[in-house]
Amino acid sequence: MARFDPHRRWLAFILAGISVLIVGFGFAASAWAQEEPGDTETYCLSCHANPDLAMELPSGESLSLYISPEMLSQSIHSPLGIECQACHTEITSYPHPEVTAQSQRELSLDLYEACAKCHSDNYDKTQDSVHAQVMADGNENAPICTDCHGAHDVHPPDQPRANISTTCGQCHTAILEEYKNSIHGGALIDEDNPDVPVCTDCHGVHNIQDPRTSQFRIESPEMCAGCHADAELMEKYGLPADVYSLYNLSWHGVDVNVYKANWPTIWHESAVCTDCHGVHNIRTTDDPASMVNPANLLSTCQNCHPGVGPNWTGAWTGHNQISLERTPFVYYTDVFYSLFAPIVLWGSAIYVVLKILHILIERTRRSLK
Amino acid sequence: MKQPTPPLSPDSTPVRTEVHFKRFTLGQRWEHAILLLSATILLLTGLPQKYRDTSWSQYILSTPERVELVQQIHHITALILTALVVYHLGHAILLLARRKLPGNMLVSWQDIRDTWKMTKYLLFLSKEKPEFGKYNFEQKVTYWFIFFGVGIMVVTGFILWFPEAWTRLFPGGIIPAARLSHSTEAIVAAAFVIIWHFFHVLIERLNLSIFTGWLNAEDTRTYHPLEYQRLGGGSTEKSETGDSQ
Repeated sequence: MARFDPHRRWLAFILAGISVLIVGFGFAASAWAQEEPGDTETYCLSCHANPDLAMELPSGESLSLYISPEMLSQSIHSPLGIECQACHTEITSYPHPEVTAQSQRELSLDLYEACAKCHSDNYDKTQDSVHAQVMADGNENAPICTDCHGAHDVHPPDQPRANISTTCGQCHTAILEEYKNSIHGGALIDEDNPDVPVCTDCHGVHNIQDPRTSQFRIESPEMCAGCHADAELMEKYGLPADVYSLYNLSWHGVDVNVYKANWPTIWHESAVCTDCHGVHNIRTTDDPASMVNPANLLSTCQNCHPGVGPNWTGAWTGHNQISLERTPFVYYTDVFYSLFAPIVLWGSAIYVVLKILHILIERTRRSLK
Repeated sequence: MKQPTPPLSPDSTPVRTEVHFKRFTLGQRWEHAILLLSATILLLTGLPQKYRDTSWSQYILSTPERVELVQQIHHITALILTALVVYHLGHAILLLARRKLPGNMLVSWQDIRDTWKMTKYLLFLSKEKPEFGKYNFEQKVTYWFIFFGVGIMVVTGFILWFPEAWTRLFPGGIIPAARLSHSTEAIVAAAFVIIWHFFHVLIERLNLSIFTGWLNAEDTRTYHPLEYQRLGGGSTEKSETGDSQ
């Protein structure tokens, strides 16, 4: 043990030295960081706070170079110390490198890649989205990060929650109008209801998929069930939570589930929730404009069953448990079989067992004689 | 092969003669064969459709084309069964019009009395076994259960096949009711045939007369004594005592 004492002393010196260095760097770093906030920003804003600062792009568009200091200070990034240079990495001082973009859009497309530096997970998701596909197909107007989130004025996207839907509505204007008049959209925009779905709840956030595929269609009932099979949530609004489980027992539901399990890529017409209730225009059943309001139900059925008569809607049991009031035919059929089946099967089984026992007992008696 | 019982055959020749009685006509035998085949096919093609959410069903119905194929087989077989029903009813009506319908399959008070007697006999409350005619009450239960069962299956089946047409005349509620009925009746009927009919014709005794058309004298005497007498086989009293093997 004694032999190693000197080494231990050396080791202690080295460790002490390292900790001094670490602490020293720590102080230096924090001092550097403390100096930094506002520094690059102030430096940049010394020119860019001028509202008239602009340049002409080769496309002929005028590109405003004005950055509102107020807007910047209210964004999420600036107060966290994430400043100009964090995104504009190519600019270190004045004069700036020459702008090579031909148009405003081209410039945005060049610059938005900077988001990926920090938000790589969400950036990667967008690469799988339908928007990225549209972009790859040559539509430069397909949305990039900054189209939805803003560039210098980035805010949390869901404050208030309705902002999410109005953001999508910037391009999907007609759908936003439909949605605003729906039960979901109305509750969102008028009451800031936290439970109703906004666009992203059904379509996903960054990896938004094409909702017109067979796969999206066949999986959509499950999506609705995310809320409409949640007993606690549905109770809050006085809605039944067994609609999905009853749908799954229905003609349509069984069929859809088979396709979902086995052939999700094969387009199938069996009705899913949205075929009858609508998509963005879903309304309450008692709303006269609802597709499933009794006044409109027949024409909704006729979308898939053309030419059916007025009695047809009576075939629909409407996600309801069997009951005498709503579905008398099914009710009486159910009552009949719940009596008939056990009487027939138990009756015949008991008779047969009695007969077997009788034969066995008689045979034993005879052999004993 | 049964040995000829010595007390009964002192005078008889060594050649063993077996008397058979005609029990079913060729038409009836064909009817039964078609019913048996079509019902089996309908059951086998119907079950995977009823239990579509199970894995074994999805193994059979592995592609949408197979679903369609199974449905087509089911529909074609259903048409054959429907034709059989039409023939059976038509034939019965024709015989009725000519006053030649035997009527021995109709349920009578005697059947109720026989059922009561048989129950007492099976429970050892009575030693007396009821004497049956050509069709005993067990066979009548089989016939009428299948008669109404097939009727329900045919009607509900056509409702499910052509729901749009049916709702032009009838309320829409019959569609889900027909679905429940078709699906439940099939299982009840299949289970009943297996428990009741299979026991009586295969296990209690092997009775293939519906295929051959003939029933031997001994079985006729034992199980249908009144019919045996009617066919001129003589009194069954003596034979019953001599019957103890």
